[in-house]
Formats: sequence, C-alpha cells, structure tokens
Amino acid sequence: MTVRAFASRAAGFALLWWVLSEGRLDGWLLGGVGVAAATWASLRLAPPGARGVRAAPLLRFLGFFIWNSLRGGVQVACMALRPRPDLVPALLELELALPPGAARVLMLNTLGLMPGTLGVDLDHARLRLHVLDARLPVAAEARALEAHIARLFGAAP
Amino acid sequence: MSTMSLGVALFLLVNLVAALVTAARGPTPADRMLTALLFGSTGVGVLALLAHAMGIPALVDVALTLALLAAIAGIAFARRAWHGGHEESPDD
Amino acid sequence: MIDLASDALLLVGAFFYFAGTVGLVRFPDVYTRLHALAKADNLGLGCVLAGLALQAESLAAALKLLLIWPLVLAASAAVSYAIAHRAEALGVAPWRREEK
Repeated sequence: MTVRAFASRAAGFALLWWVLSEGRLDGWLLGGVGVAAATWASLRLAPPGARGVRAAPLLRFLGFFIWNSLRGGVQVACMALRPRPDLVPALLELELALPPGAARVLMLNTLGLMPGTLGVDLDHARLRLHVLDARLPVAAEARALEAHIARLFGAAP
Repeated sequence: MSTMSLGVALFLLVNLVAALVTAARGPTPADRMLTALLFGSTGVGVLALLAHAMGIPALVDVALTLALLAAIAGIAFARRAWHGGHEESPDD
Repeated sequence: MIDLASDALLLVGAFFYFAGTVGLVRFPDVYTRLHALAKADNLGLGCVLAGLALQAESLAAALKLLLIWPLVLAASAAVSYAIAHRAEALGVAPWRREEK
C-alpha cells in the first residue's frame, strides 16, 4: 500500500512540475529534487491510511461543484443586472448530518459558491446560511451539497 | 489576438477601480473586507490577461503565486475562525 | 476558429466580471454583495482563463493557466465565508425587503 501511495503521489508531483515549468526540460534537475521533497513531506504529513478521500466520489464532487458554481454565477449575474432588483434575502438554519471536522468545514466554505447560498455560522451541527432569494429552493440545494460531501468522506447512508 | 486580451484587461481594471471605490465607501467594516475577494479574482484575471497581451509569460507565474497565496490566506482565515468558534477540533 | 472561441470566452468572462461589479454597487448590504462578488467574479475568471488557455503555446502552459482557477475558487470560498462570519460577529444585520 505504501509503495502505491508513494508512486501515485510522486507521479502527481512530477505532473505538477511539468505543468509549472510549461513542459521545459532544462529544469528537471531542480524539479526532481522538488518532487522528491514534496513526496517525502506529503507521506510524512498525511500518511496513507483509511482517512483518505476516495477518487471516484472526489471526481463526482468536483463535477457537481463546478457545475453549480457555473449556475450560481449565472444566477447572481441575472439578479444583479435585472432592471428592478428583486431580492428576498433571509437567514436559514439547517441541522447538518455531517460528521464534525473537515466535512463540515468544507460544507460551510463551499456554500458561498453554490447558487443563492452563503455560509454564515456553524455552531456544532447547526448551520446558519444567508440566502439571496428565499423563494428559490435553496434548502434543497444545500442538502444536495451535503449529500455529495457525505459521499466524499465515505459517511453516506 | 493580443488586442482582445489587452482590451479585456483594461475593462477589468476599470471594474476593479469601481469596485474598490464602492467597497471602501463602506458603510460597515465588513464591506471594506470585500477588497480581499477583489484582489483574488479580479487581480489574478488582470495579471493572466496582461501576460498574454504583453507577451510576458512570467506574469502567469505571478498570477499563480497570487492565487496560491490567496488560497492559503483564505484557508488560514477559515481555520482560525473554525478553531476560534465553538467547534471541537478533532484532527490537525 | 480557436481564436474566435477564445475571444468569445474572454468577452463572456468580462461580462461576468461586469455583473459582479454591478451587483457590488447595487446590492443593499454586505451579505448580498458577497454573493455577487464571490460567484460572478469567479465565473468571470474561469471564462477568461479558459479563453487564454485556448491560445496557449503548449498543453502544459494551458494546464498552468487552468491550475489558477481552483486555487482562486478555494480562496474565494474561504474568504467569503470568513467575511460573512465576521460581519455577523460585528452585528451587521442582513438587509430585508420592506413588507408590502
């Protein structure tokens, strides 16, 4: 397992170096040192283990996230450019089912890029969010995001 | 077509100035904090456009570094808010 | 053809930046302005970077431009939450529409 983690992380950092150096070959001596150091640091700081995030849910989450941040941007642009602004802002409270820690923090932070929602406060499992238009199905959107994050952390029902 | 990217870069700069003036006017201190967001998104966009328009590829590195610093600052900000809050911190 | 698509993406990006600024100027309080800036400007940046990446000289250079986007997304998400949280702690009440 450790060999696989080592190989995949080293490959990832090498790919990053290739991108950063724009495919030039003359920097690979320095790049090799950098890749080795980064791999060592990553194995040291985040040892491969059960607490990781799996690849398939991560891709699904990224797809969901990018699609919804597109939707969010289009929606807020329409609201801003409407001749007569028509906002119905409100504060909503939701009870989160996510485990404490990284999952909840990810939820709180990504809400700001999803359509119509913005995380404001998190007290234990009680999430407070600001919404632009209370007439839109914002709670359902927040629940969809929560479900994706739960799958990402392997805590899904 | 570097005229297009130069034009868009100038347009973004005008936007940035207008947004900065609005944010600086307030009325609350929280409004003024919006400038932190503006430098992340608009500043990086202007740098990337100028890199193309003026043929200075190094400006892409500047944009990348600015984005990286903005991300690190943002995450540090959020983590501090997290630990300063009521949440128990399970891992570190 | 690629130049045309690239120019179109740059213009769409400029449009979203513009919408974000309009939202910042027109929206009534700090929370609603955060919505406008965080969402619209990030989409504008995504379009601009995609447009520039289409004209990049190599695949690696294009990927490098696109690498900027997720970093700025992470920054905006964290910073917009932090500002909203701070605004609430400072006692800034959200604007509400007057009852009809």
